[in-house]
Amino acid sequence: MSMNSLYLTVPLAPLAGALLAGLFGRAIGRTGSHVVTILGVAIALVASFFIAQDVFAGHEFNGDVYTWIATEGVAMHVGFLIDPLTVTMMLVVTFVSLMVHIYTIGYMHEDPGYQRFFSYISLFTFSMLMLVMSNNFLQLFFGWEAVGLVSYLLIGFWYTRPTAIYANLKAFLVNRVGDFGFLLGIGLVLAYFGTLDYATVFSQAPAMAGRSIELVSGSPVSLMTAICLLLFVGAMGKSAQMPLHVWLPDSMEGPTPISALIHAATMVTAGIFMVSRMSPLFELSETARSVILVIGGSTAFFMALLGLVQNDIKRVVAYSTLSQLGYMTVALGASAYPVAIFHLGTHAFFKALLFLAAGSVIHAMHHEQDMRHMGGLRKYMPITYWTSLMGSLALAGIPPFAGFFSKDAIIEAVGASDIAGSGYAYAAVLAGVFVTAFYSFRMLFMTFHGKPRMDDHTREHLHESPWVITVPLVLLAIPSVVAGMVFVEPMLVGQYFGHSIVILPQDDALHELKEEWHGVAGFVLHGLQSLPFWLAIAGIAMAAAFYLKWTRLPGLVQDMMGSIPTLLRNNYYFDRFNEVFFAAGARCLGQGLWKVGDVFLIDGALVNGSARLVGKLSERIRRFQTGYIYHYAFVMIFGVFVLMSLWFVRV
Amino acid sequence: MNFTPPLLAPAYPEIFLLMALSALLLLDLVVPDNRRFLTYAYSQLALVATGVLLVGGATGHVFSTFGGMFLDDPLARSLKVVALLAMALVLAYSRTYNQRHGLFRGEFYVLTLFALLGIMVMISANHFLVLYLGLELLSLSTCALIALQRDSSVATEAAMKYFVLAALASGLLLYGLSMLYGATGSLYMPQVANAIASGVADPAILVLGLVTRRAGLSFKLGVVPFHMWVPDVYEGAPTAVTLFVSTVPKIAAFAFFVRMLVGTLSPMVSDWQSMLVIVSVLSMLVGNVTAIAQTNVKRMLAYSTISHMGFLLLGILSGTVGGFAAAMFYVVAYVLMSLGAFGLILLLGREGFEVNSLDDLKGLNKRSPWYAFMMLLVMISMAGIPVSVGFFAKLSVLSAVLDAGMTWLVVFAVLMSLIGAFYYLRVIKLMYMDEPSDISPLVAEADHRILMGLNGMAILVLGIVPQPLIDLCMFSVTRSLGSG
Amino acid sequence: MTDLTPLVFSAFGLVLLASAVGVIVARNPVHAVLFLVLAFFTGAGLWMMLEAEFLAITLVLVYVGAVMVLFLFVVMMLNVDLDRLREGFWKYFPVGAVVALIMVVEMVLVVSSRQFSTLGLDGLPAPASYSNTRELGLQLYTNYVYPFELAAVILLVAIVAAIALTLRKRKDSRYVDPSAQVRVKAADRIRVVSMPAEKDPS
Repeated sequence: MSMNSLYLTVPLAPLAGALLAGLFGRAIGRTGSHVVTILGVAIALVASFFIAQDVFAGHEFNGDVYTWIATEGVAMHVGFLIDPLTVTMMLVVTFVSLMVHIYTIGYMHEDPGYQRFFSYISLFTFSMLMLVMSNNFLQLFFGWEAVGLVSYLLIGFWYTRPTAIYANLKAFLVNRVGDFGFLLGIGLVLAYFGTLDYATVFSQAPAMAGRSIELVSGSPVSLMTAICLLLFVGAMGKSAQMPLHVWLPDSMEGPTPISALIHAATMVTAGIFMVSRMSPLFELSETARSVILVIGGSTAFFMALLGLVQNDIKRVVAYSTLSQLGYMTVALGASAYPVAIFHLGTHAFFKALLFLAAGSVIHAMHHEQDMRHMGGLRKYMPITYWTSLMGSLALAGIPPFAGFFSKDAIIEAVGASDIAGSGYAYAAVLAGVFVTAFYSFRMLFMTFHGKPRMDDHTREHLHESPWVITVPLVLLAIPSVVAGMVFVEPMLVGQYFGHSIVILPQDDALHELKEEWHGVAGFVLHGLQSLPFWLAIAGIAMAAAFYLKWTRLPGLVQDMMGSIPTLLRNNYYFDRFNEVFFAAGARCLGQGLWKVGDVFLIDGALVNGSARLVGKLSERIRRFQTGYIYHYAFVMIFGVFVLMSLWFVRV
Repeated sequence: MNFTPPLLAPAYPEIFLLMALSALLLLDLVVPDNRRFLTYAYSQLALVATGVLLVGGATGHVFSTFGGMFLDDPLARSLKVVALLAMALVLAYSRTYNQRHGLFRGEFYVLTLFALLGIMVMISANHFLVLYLGLELLSLSTCALIALQRDSSVATEAAMKYFVLAALASGLLLYGLSMLYGATGSLYMPQVANAIASGVADPAILVLGLVTRRAGLSFKLGVVPFHMWVPDVYEGAPTAVTLFVSTVPKIAAFAFFVRMLVGTLSPMVSDWQSMLVIVSVLSMLVGNVTAIAQTNVKRMLAYSTISHMGFLLLGILSGTVGGFAAAMFYVVAYVLMSLGAFGLILLLGREGFEVNSLDDLKGLNKRSPWYAFMMLLVMISMAGIPVSVGFFAKLSVLSAVLDAGMTWLVVFAVLMSLIGAFYYLRVIKLMYMDEPSDISPLVAEADHRILMGLNGMAILVLGIVPQPLIDLCMFSVTRSLGSG
Repeated sequence: MTDLTPLVFSAFGLVLLASAVGVIVARNPVHAVLFLVLAFFTGAGLWMMLEAEFLAITLVLVYVGAVMVLFLFVVMMLNVDLDRLREGFWKYFPVGAVVALIMVVEMVLVVSSRQFSTLGLDGLPAPASYSNTRELGLQLYTNYVYPFELAAVILLVAIVAAIALTLRKRKDSRYVDPSAQVRVKAADRIRVVSMPAEKDPS
């Protein structure tokens, strides 16, 4: 089997599974559906492994497999760019996706939309793979929109719930805002580079670095900054950065496997991946990176704070996802793209693990999500407990768990960066460490420790989840523990990414790290002496104090804080603001435009007016069609006569 | 006198078709009425065999034979293959209809195949006399086909109109040809082209001939002001014949327009370009606007055809190779869509009932979701909505015009297709939103369902991956016209 | 002796035009047909002057001899209602006349002032041994064999069409089937029945 067909297999196998399960779901039944989709994703995973081996043996690939349309000047291809960055994403996506597929068998087994669900998640896997494997902006955009679409479908999977419909509409609208910027960015690339191919754009980019354009006449803007900021707006939408983060917490309305796959591990990291992929462009605009730093830092800290006050187990994990995405974004801003991808990978494992564990708990609790009604689940669900513990330790950044390495590297990188905004971002991520440790253990303690707070009926039925749920948990726990140790050296210090990521020497925030590198053990030892580690320990200790020892303390603290908890519980009033300002404002504007523009101008004058005009004209012309041969003949002769006279006059 | 017998190889498909036809004439005598299916199967087989000869003999080069009267080039080959495919679909779709309406007779098949032969002759014509003869062969067969339903007075009336007007058009064509002969002294297209290019011929006479000749040819295309027959004939003729008239001859019409205007009269591009602009603008206007007022499906589709032909001319009048390729793409797309539309109308009819009024399509989705979906595909494609082949057809034609620098024409065409979208979407609304007046479920035979499915899918698939067809058109046009 | 050719040509031409107009304006269809016959005759005359004898004679034989006679039969047998046919004639006359007039003027201007191509024509009378018929035949069966065959196909279609449109089995008519007549055997015609010569007395 040639490499080319192997590349094609990776996205097409899940697509085939999705089509089979989607179109013939009724025919092949429930078992048939999960067999074909799991098989498709498993094939993709195995193929990805082989491709990864091949890539690290030095065989990178960049080529088109199919030309969709070629018009003058612009050719639109479907093509693959296979390099270390791509295969990393491919492995993460297919692995997590496979785990989620298996998990779903147990989690959704009573749902009437079983086949539909499997079809959607396989379709999602296909779209995500198309996104990461693309070698051009068009296919990237296709994947971008396709994952957005599947995400929309899955958030609203239980479409009879009004909240689910509200949430998917919200996700869709907010993502439109981001996609609009993204599309404008791609448009700018096409306009100034004349091509959509990555390689060509990247090779021409340095020459374009000095160009400026006038978006508003009279005020020139650097072309690169404009492109990068617009592309980043897209990333903000998809990767839920402030202020476009509002859709992600609501997206928890979808089934839990989806929250794990799409809204934690893969789709939301598409923005991070995209910026890393575009590193040759982002390296050319310091302004854009400063903006990224500030937005990422804000997201990392403020979203973590929100995690403190949530009582819904899934929402805690959701806000933690937002905060961790902020960390990755900060790394991008600091030009530490490899670190961002590193954190993306470790985060994918432990966050998927935490979500699936939360799902396992929810499943056992008969779809109860409120942590105030849990407690003491440790003895009923040992596997879930231990895997959650590992996930939480990784999330809090305790060595030697995976999260420690990536998070510590981010903090180091931001500290080493000296562009505008890096100081603010450094402070934000440092403070974020404490908060992260606090909320993640708050969740662990409230759920698994202490006295059981559920009703008797639920308690009687408590039991560990079936193997299809626990096996993915265990399989995800393994990389959550070891992925950091294994990959920290090649990814951060070595030449893991090769040429797929470009960092200019003067921006290389990892430089210091590389200089002082003394092996994994040295990194851990260094980490143990540094501030973040003690902040994390402090966070855990405080959580233990609050929720294990003196359980009345949280209430007292809340009372002391005044209005801050209310502010947090209301998500800083972002939603309120959006509703009042954007939604109501848009409705108001819409009403106005509708009444004046639509009803009066368009409906009244244009549509009905023109329709009436056309209708009248139509009646008039129709009368020519008399049905008499001699009229027809006369029209023909007359036509010849007119044409002839016209040219007679001319010649 | 020296005479070398002509090389027959390039014309094998035509010769084979003629022989198969003659055999059919004899065979049909001994086939009893209740086994007429044999005739049908034989005709399909003949089409397949001709297709095999066509594809098998394709070389990708340009040949001419019969003393230069017959031209065999990639353009001719691809157009003939399209014509054969369309013809096979016409015969397949019309089978049940013919059985119900007393048209399941040998004559129907003989005459359609004769018409096809005429079309193939026209496509390969390199001599104006041959072009004329091919046209007459097509006209005469078509006319007989329209009148084949003898007991129907509307069909007879339609045939009468077609016959008289076609005769008038032929007269005009001949008049134009005589002018051409007078001005250049030859009817061989290459020689005529030489005479015009070298400036020997008198321009005034040429233009006079051009006007009348183009009028004669426009008749077949059905563009304004030579369109008057179209609605009447489409409505009056048996639907099976309408299906034929609305599809396959348009391929020949495209071929002769390209051969005449591009191959022969390219030095006079400024003259025929502005002429075509007028005709095309009028066609789009009259076709789209009048279609809105129609309540009869067949008449509506007739006006839609007129507007489509206006669009087709847009590609030709751009005068560039890209434009001709776009026009070729358009004609293939149009044939696909028209086959789908009239094919569905045929299939929706049943014993003693034909779909005539638009109201008959009401609530089709409830009666047969499959057919309704196919009709939906056809309609969005005709309206030129993306992800359908019609969209790319319109897009490529318009971009060719834009390249030719006629922005106002593009704006006009887009406006017209906007108006056109109204009546196409109305059909969709009728099918999906309205309640059916007749709730009996539709039964259709397996071959119809499958072919219609393929037809609809082709519209969709070519809309998503148009590149192979674009490439084929580009290849045919550049290989055939690029050098000459 | 002056060359009479131009004079004869003009005379034929004038008669041809006049009779063509006559076909259109004649009130009586029979007269119109007769005008058409005259037009054919003069046309044949013109061809004869151009040394196209075969065509001239074919025109007379086929069109005048066969087609026009058929026309006459049809016209006489159908008994067309003249007044209804002429309804609206004057309504359309002004527009038609103006259009026709302008077209005629245009054509005259174009055709008269311009030069037709004379490629390959010498304009001289052919030698006495020249046979136009033979030349026509040679051309038709060699260089023009393709159009000739196509014309044959068109005629075939015409036959098929004519039969398809007119042949109808009339179920109510009684007719004799000759093949049945011939096939018949003596045994079919009479049945020899053996019966006793007399009634059995018992």
